[in-house]
Amino acid sequence: MKPFYLTFFMLIIFYGAIIARTPENVQGIFPYKYQEQILENGLKAIIIPMESPGLVAYYSVVRTGSRDEYEPGHSGFAHFFEHMMFRGTKKYPGSVYDKLVTEMGADANAYTSDDITCYHLNFAAEDLEKAMEPESDRFQNLFYEEQAFKTEAGAVHGEYLKSLSSPYFLLSEKLMDTAFDIHTYKHTTIGFRQDIEAMPTMYDYSRSFFNRYYRPENVVLLIVGDIDPTRTMELVNKYYGNWQKGYVPPQVPVEPEQQGERTANVTYNGQTLPILCVAYKSLAFDPQNKEMAACYLLGDLAFGETSEIYKKLVLNEQRVQFISADFSSARDPQLLSIWTMIKQEDDIDNIKNEIFQTISFFQQNRVEDQKLADLKSRLKYGFLMRLETPDDVAGRLARYIALTGDIKAVDQLYTTFDQVTPEDILNAANKFLVEQKRTVVVLKGGQNQ
Amino acid sequence: MSKIVISLGAAIFCCLILFACQSPKGIKIVQLAVPSDPTISFAIWFKVGSQNDPAGKAGLAALTASILTEGSTLQNSYDQIIEKLYPMAAGYGSSVDKEMTVINGRIHKDNLEKYYELFTQAILSPAFKPEDFDRLKSNTINYLEKTLRYANDEAFGKEVLYQAIFANTPYGHPDDGLIESVKSITLEDVKNFYQTYFTKENVVIGIGGGFDNSLVNRLEKELTTLPPGTPALVAKPTPQLIEGLEAILVEKDTRSTAISIGFPIDVWRGDDDFYALWLANSWFGEHRNSSSHLYQVIRETRGMNYGDYSYIEHFPRGWAHQFPPPNVGRRQQIFEIWIRPVKNEEAHFALRAAIRELQKLIDNGMSQEDFELTKKFLKKYYLHYAPTTSMRLGYRLDDAFYGIQDYLATFPRMLESLTLDDVNTAIKKHLQYKNMKIAMITKGVESLKKALINNTLSPKEYQVEKPAEVLAEDREIEKYPLDIKAENVRIVRADEMFVK
Repeated sequence: MKPFYLTFFMLIIFYGAIIARTPENVQGIFPYKYQEQILENGLKAIIIPMESPGLVAYYSVVRTGSRDEYEPGHSGFAHFFEHMMFRGTKKYPGSVYDKLVTEMGADANAYTSDDITCYHLNFAAEDLEKAMEPESDRFQNLFYEEQAFKTEAGAVHGEYLKSLSSPYFLLSEKLMDTAFDIHTYKHTTIGFRQDIEAMPTMYDYSRSFFNRYYRPENVVLLIVGDIDPTRTMELVNKYYGNWQKGYVPPQVPVEPEQQGERTANVTYNGQTLPILCVAYKSLAFDPQNKEMAACYLLGDLAFGETSEIYKKLVLNEQRVQFISADFSSARDPQLLSIWTMIKQEDDIDNIKNEIFQTISFFQQNRVEDQKLADLKSRLKYGFLMRLETPDDVAGRLARYIALTGDIKAVDQLYTTFDQVTPEDILNAANKFLVEQKRTVVVLKGGQNQ
Repeated sequence: MSKIVISLGAAIFCCLILFACQSPKGIKIVQLAVPSDPTISFAIWFKVGSQNDPAGKAGLAALTASILTEGSTLQNSYDQIIEKLYPMAAGYGSSVDKEMTVINGRIHKDNLEKYYELFTQAILSPAFKPEDFDRLKSNTINYLEKTLRYANDEAFGKEVLYQAIFANTPYGHPDDGLIESVKSITLEDVKNFYQTYFTKENVVIGIGGGFDNSLVNRLEKELTTLPPGTPALVAKPTPQLIEGLEAILVEKDTRSTAISIGFPIDVWRGDDDFYALWLANSWFGEHRNSSSHLYQVIRETRGMNYGDYSYIEHFPRGWAHQFPPPNVGRRQQIFEIWIRPVKNEEAHFALRAAIRELQKLIDNGMSQEDFELTKKFLKKYYLHYAPTTSMRLGYRLDDAFYGIQDYLATFPRMLESLTLDDVNTAIKKHLQYKNMKIAMITKGVESLKKALINNTLSPKEYQVEKPAEVLAEDREIEKYPLDIKAENVRIVRADEMFVK
């Protein structure tokens, strides 16, 4: 079993390779043709036929996540609601829905993040209509009683409890709470502990959450696999056509400009090597914004596996277990963060300085053309190589669609990547990797064990 | 003549699509040709695993595999390898289980030559550089000391269970090793282990996707340059008999309790009873699926935790995978129950609930309705097991491990032929609930021990009104006698586990 950190923030595809060409009659990086329709009620449906072993991936992308939780005392509700969506409707009560899904041998699950709640099913192609009916029903007619609501709050609490053993979870919690003042990114997707514990009392609020956010204007259907596009679109119109509009956008507070460095410490109740996170306020995801694309690439250029700091600290001097950077693609400006697990506690400040020196280097020196070209190649081929199954395809697209509502975001993003120059990287380093935008969090193990 | 041509053509056709063959020089080759796949998947299986770790050197197999895939070769330093793989977004890795080590990778045809060179060099000419060894050894020690014992209670609980069941057998330590033993491993140990086990007599080539035969021939020829040697076989482990319920309570300052329960079973993939037991297990605890009966009882009805599942084949890192990963073939399996963390004060109740459900399954068997529904479910659910070439190739290697023909094609056929009687007979024959190991990672171990051995009542409270039938069942669960003897409860601290 490989250590946890090897799979955390990984960009490397262990089973990766390159598709050197996209089909001649398809523009952009995304290699499959698709059909798109927006219903009168605002629901967008994207249908992508592709060869598959008789499988279909059916994704309902709700463009709501923990970012939408702006009311105090209600953090964690997008995620909690994801759980409630499995509790059924009057036509298909929870146990009936479960049985239908079971009979189809479907793989059904969901996940929530800052900007997305994604419901995904994988089932045999012959079951498309059989799956669409209850699926469309629960989005339009979800029904649950308070008892079921309170029971599910227990499962959510259980999920929170299991996360507490992870030092990365604790550090992330602290990082977001420290870096953000009023924006809803301040809390993690699972929510503040006190809000999770209070969830059983919020039945009425949960109904209001559904009524405001689970509306066709705020949802994109993504159906991929062994399907006939025309027939599929007919079914979408049949089952979703009567869904009523009514989306109410959340009043997400605008985070004020950060005015100076912030720092925080976390004590982990157990044994761990120290973990350091150095994060900078960055830009919202915009696939056509070259400055954002430069930020996106900068992290891996400066701190990725082929970087000088990686070679020095991971391979040669072996002072850290790993070091890597992450650009959070989000609807509002989020973070470009550098993470590292340090072998000796008394080396934390030195490692932090190594990070600052690396940043300083990238602020004064243009990255080599070949390095930039290698990274662009890697991102592109990494994307293309993870499109083996309908679930892969839908899974890769879901986040872009949640952030922008538009499948074209994928092609746009990679076109924009291609346009980034070493000068753009230099400028991004100077504009964003600065002290006043910085938050530094250190996690250390406690003394008890 | 035409009949000969047709027969020959048919034979060649069958060979091209799916076959395992023996090359003239003796290396077994498992091929899965998928002409439409623009990539090629490699899976080089060495018949070695942590069961082969010498005494006092637990973790040697895993460390050896990792130095091949995360270290330098004679041709390139590790950072040079990373540089070369980087723009291809490619890589290779290893998976090490008790009996199987697989070096795997995948690449598109267009970049095959550059990749193939790096991939084969990793296997054939590892440099065994001290700096790579130090790095990987340090990573492993950190993983065992800190990550496994503190950062993931579910992983911790499972490893505690496995160690308890397989104590004093070759399966009796985590694949990554034990802290002191890993510290004692030297580079010389790794080199010797490689020479002994990564041999041409001990390898099976797996290749899948859009390859042509010349690649197979090249690969086979290159791997005949592996060191010679037929390592001694390790006898199938014979776990100690379990008498009663035996609990290991690992003390940790935690708000929730991770629970794992299990016992050895004598059923392998492909056995007569395997498919019947697979169906029963699917109903009882299908992995991360709400169809799991245990999930329905503990999470759905009572809201106690994130999920509850059971297994008849080893399923590593269940929190990260939805479907069973291949290449964890074993001659000795266990029946395992995984209760995801519950509140500490509800741990006793959860444990009782799970074991009581197991007893009910064994005593009463499955109902016709549940049998029909589960059969219907599995007939399509199995389609998700291996949707990609590399997954299907992995299953082909497992076929070779278990000595069976095309498990993925056999599964639906065998499922179709099953009767309720087959399933209930298999349940009675292979499952039991009285002699099991229990691992619990928790706080308050002394009071829990006392409660377990005294069969103390463990009522569950709710913040909501529950239906009368649920409360009535709770009355049964809270007093369900586990009859655990005091001498069968062992208490350890987290930092005492996996040391040596």
